[in-house]
Amino acid sequence: MRFKNSMAGILLCGAMSAVSLMAQDGNIVATGTFHGDAHHTTGRATVYHTPKGEVLRITHFKTSDGPNTHVLLIAADDAKDDQNIFKENLDRVELGPLKGTEGDQNYSIPAGTDLSKYKTVAIYCERFNVTFGAAPLQK
Amino acid sequence: MTPETKHLTPKRIVLYGIALLVLVGLWYAFRPEKLFTTTHVNEAPPQQVQDAPTPIYTGRFVGEVHKTSGRATVLKQTDGSRLLKLSDFSTSNGPQLHVLLVDGHDPNSTKDFSLTAVKNIDLGDLKGTQGDQSYQIPATADLKIYNTVTIYCEHFHANFGSASLEEF
Repeated sequence: MRFKNSMAGILLCGAMSAVSLMAQDGNIVATGTFHGDAHHTTGRATVYHTPKGEVLRITHFKTSDGPNTHVLLIAADDAKDDQNIFKENLDRVELGPLKGTEGDQNYSIPAGTDLSKYKTVAIYCERFNVTFGAAPLQK
Repeated sequence: MTPETKHLTPKRIVLYGIALLVLVGLWYAFRPEKLFTTTHVNEAPPQQVQDAPTPIYTGRFVGEVHKTSGRATVLKQTDGSRLLKLSDFSTSNGPQLHVLLVDGHDPNSTKDFSLTAVKNIDLGDLKGTQGDQSYQIPATADLKIYNTVTIYCEHFHANFGSASLEEF
């Protein structure tokens, strides 16, 4: 009985340290930096795991002025300047209109989005079908 | 009739009307004001992220000869101390593996080097060749100088892999 108890204690300790380790990392799922020369896009994109689901957070961000600019997750390793994502019919997940051309901002990622497939964040001007900038995400 | 109203002949009224319609049409077609969209936002991180240590530097490991991969992230904890976290990590087997912070500006740091040749801070024995692990960073370490994490085999003076840290 005593043996069983100590085993349970060891298992519990193990489980607890595993949980605390996971909580310690800030729950980062993947991160990457923006590039975009033609439309000057810079900053960092990070996907965080939260109890409410995955959240894309963009920090130190700056991009060009443009009409109808959206945040997309695309099924590609990266995207080029000015790439026409819609015409190429690239698989994508729409995260919504860009909240600001500068500054920190959060976007919730729809539940069930496969981040091993949608590996790049694109800032996309839907009016002119132009990619302003892209951030490839890595674990 | 005053001189002003004299100009408003029915023909002119129609012309002005058409001109106005054309202008409205052009505005609607081009919406030039939408080109100027500079907006600054400053959203706070999600609550759970606020409670966690803040990442300040990060980088991916590169190591071809001794197959090293994964991510190195420097986290600033609430008490101000810094923690190096390796995640998604994997390296080769080797004797006396250490985790070093090295001066990445030194061209020797990318090759195999002897410990006296490259400025370094030893963070201790590598805890495991696979998996997530953390190392305390001394408070005095200047990460602007020691900007690269290296998995170093002391026995063979071999550089197994490096992650160059960029600001998060």
